[in-house]
Amino acid sequence: MTGGMTGGGSAATPADLGAFRAHVRDWCRAHVPDGWRRAQTGVPDEEFVSFQRAWFQELRRAGFAVPHWPAEWGGGMPVAQQAVLYQELAAHDAPRLVLAFVAIHHAASTLLAAGTDAQRHAHLPAILDGEVWAQGFSEPDAGSDLAALRTSARREGGTYVVNGQKCWASGAAHADWCLLLARTDPAAPKRHGISYFLLDMRTPGIDVRPTRQATGESHFCEIFLDDVAVPAANLVGPENEGWRVAQRTLGAERGMTMLELAERLAHGGFRRLVDACARPGPGGARPLDDPLVLDRLAALETELTGLRALCAELVADDRPGPADASVAKLVYSELLQRLTDFAAEVAGPAAHTELRRPLSSGWESGAWVLDFVGSWEWTIPGGTSEIQRTIIGERGLGLPREPAGA
Amino acid sequence: MNIEPSGEAAEYGRQASRAFAAAGGDRLAPLAEAEPERRGALVEPVLRELGAWELRPRDDPDDLEAAAALCRSAGYRALAYPLAERLARPAGLGTDGLLVVDGPAPRAPVAGLDLRWTAVTLDGRRGEAVVRSGERSLDSAVVAELDVRPLDAAGAGDVALGLVLPCWTLLGMLDRALDLTRSHVLARHQFGEPLARRQGVRFQLADAEVERGGAEALAAYALWSVQSGRAEALDDALALRLAALEAAEAVFRTAHLLHGAMGFCDESPLSWVSRCSRPVRWLPLGLSATRDHLARRLGRHGLTGLFSEAAT
Ligand SMILES: Cc1cc2nc3c(=O)[nH]c(=O)nc-3n(C[C@H](O)[C@H](O)[C@H](O)COP(=O)(O)OP(=O)(O)OC[C@H]3O[C@@H](n4cnc5c(N)ncnc54)[C@H](O)[C@@H]3O)c2cc1C
Repeated sequence: MTGGMTGGGSAATPADLGAFRAHVRDWCRAHVPDGWRRAQTGVPDEEFVSFQRAWFQELRRAGFAVPHWPAEWGGGMPVAQQAVLYQELAAHDAPRLVLAFVAIHHAASTLLAAGTDAQRHAHLPAILDGEVWAQGFSEPDAGSDLAALRTSARREGGTYVVNGQKCWASGAAHADWCLLLARTDPAAPKRHGISYFLLDMRTPGIDVRPTRQATGESHFCEIFLDDVAVPAANLVGPENEGWRVAQRTLGAERGMTMLELAERLAHGGFRRLVDACARPGPGGARPLDDPLVLDRLAALETELTGLRALCAELVADDRPGPADASVAKLVYSELLQRLTDFAAEVAGPAAHTELRRPLSSGWESGAWVLDFVGSWEWTIPGGTSEIQRTIIGERGLGLPREPAGA
Repeated sequence: MNIEPSGEAAEYGRQASRAFAAAGGDRLAPLAEAEPERRGALVEPVLRELGAWELRPRDDPDDLEAAAALCRSAGYRALAYPLAERLARPAGLGTDGLLVVDGPAPRAPVAGLDLRWTAVTLDGRRGEAVVRSGERSLDSAVVAELDVRPLDAAGAGDVALGLVLPCWTLLGMLDRALDLTRSHVLARHQFGEPLARRQGVRFQLADAEVERGGAEALAAYALWSVQSGRAEALDDALALRLAALEAAEAVFRTAHLLHGAMGFCDESPLSWVSRCSRPVRWLPLGLSATRDHLARRLGRHGLTGLFSEAAT
């Protein structure tokens, strides 16, 4: 799906994996910063950014930052080893790569699948050095109906002149570059007039405004584009073929990132939940002594095992089915909701008074009530749950297409 | 027995809702969150004007209904003011309101207000509650930690009302979340038509409305139970709290999902209603604690319910 974004193909033997696991464990014990959660809770933006940058470089030195990239660009880890890596990082409660997320997944997969050699050389090493990326797809009137986007790019000689407005771009306030979709042919049918660009965020005419959120948690931005000149060399794929390229980036969001998220949910969040159930409650009894709790845990474990298998297969497969990534995203986001909901339930009253969590934690930080509320957010980006269901129905099951509307 | 609230109470609620809208409406919650010290000055004059402090919900059935309707309107407008707590004030102690508390570190959404509070535990132990100053450990600026100086054990009769009125506030928030979501899916176009034309969207909204309706019916029942001075009033209050909290989860989840990313940003009233609902939902008892208390109480005798007389 992502042009070699699956790391190395050679299957590691169980013995190799055992040795690798031991190696990652030792590394985690030596490198995961002590007490980072407390230190990172509620810190100002700059501190979050420098913490994330430092952690990324730490992982990079160990060869753990971009294991899913091809070997020639600094990755090449077999999928089975990647799974072990994510398991151990989660089990040792390592911070997540929040700031680098779009760069190492969306940007990299776009460049590898559709970028020119020059684009790859310009950006893949830079990403390893800390170049931060944002995704500028959504617009006020183009959310689920992304193809309705109106930001325009007019060709003038060797450049495109871009005008319009993007919204909900996570982390754009810290971004050096942005993946941009804009309309290059206003006359063509919706999906056929869109092109895909790499946008240097230092270009004049760009105004990034953080969108204030009542939760104060994630970092949406609006991006206003006023006569922004983008060199034609920054076009990805052919002009007017941006929709196809974008499907690949979205594929990465739904697919590639899932391996890490699934392993983290199983080895971080779920383990934390089981530990919590093993601690005596206020009345002295342990939730684990309750057969109903055991039953629910067993059901969750079963679902998690299924999800992990699904995700591992998805990244290992060269030609995944047309709806596989959507299945994985749907299962993940709804399982995350069920798991955090149940966790908030068994953690009891205490969970309801913890009202903050650090940005660098995962979606299952152990502040269960916040995690549960946050899990609602997860059903929206990268295509909402309804959009995933539509894709599964149409591309997976071959049902007739939804009426496109008036 | 008539558990339907009266027409007068409903009219009073509408009048209150207009007054809250005129006093600032959706701007009140962000203002309260930014400067909890100012929120008293923003809404107390309106409440005085509405005659809120003359209501005697513990003594007069009509006043009780009016109090419930007032709380519901306050929830609808996300007033971010402990109105239900004030209306539930205990008799004869000379304090301004009643806070039901639970657990070793009591909290309540009373930061920044110069008022005197009585705290009561579920088993009726009362105390004088003083807001601990300085610490703002929670993400909600309106929530404060309390120091409770024990007073007596005579509060068993105070608790039910102290639990029921905040549920009416929450009910108003659910009314609002659904209204906002309904308007949003009618106005928001994707794929060339309003979201509301999609059956997938309509089904979700319908399910949420069913949840809200269930909570509304129980709210009326629990109010009647308090009104009639029934021995089971506390069980009924806890059952209402459980239903209202479950409904709140379902309603806010749907409301957020159907609002898309918009529902998580400051400009959207939904995000403020959702945020204001959190202290009501988590304090003094979250979902699991409510379930736990209710189960333990019912384990002894079971719910009496509306039709038990007919059944015996
Ligand atoms: C945490 C988060 C991070 C994000 N990060 C980024 C980012 O970095 N870059 C970026 O470009 N965008 C980002 N987004 C935006 C995201 O891609 C959009 O929010 C998403 O595509 C949905 O669009 P919308 O919010 O406009 O909702 P709408 O499209 O308005 O949808 C509202 C509701 O209607 C439902 N709906 C819509 N169409 C249908 C249909 N045909 N059938 C049934 N139901 C339907 C949806 O499921 C949803 O519940 C982010 C969003 C979130 C929440």
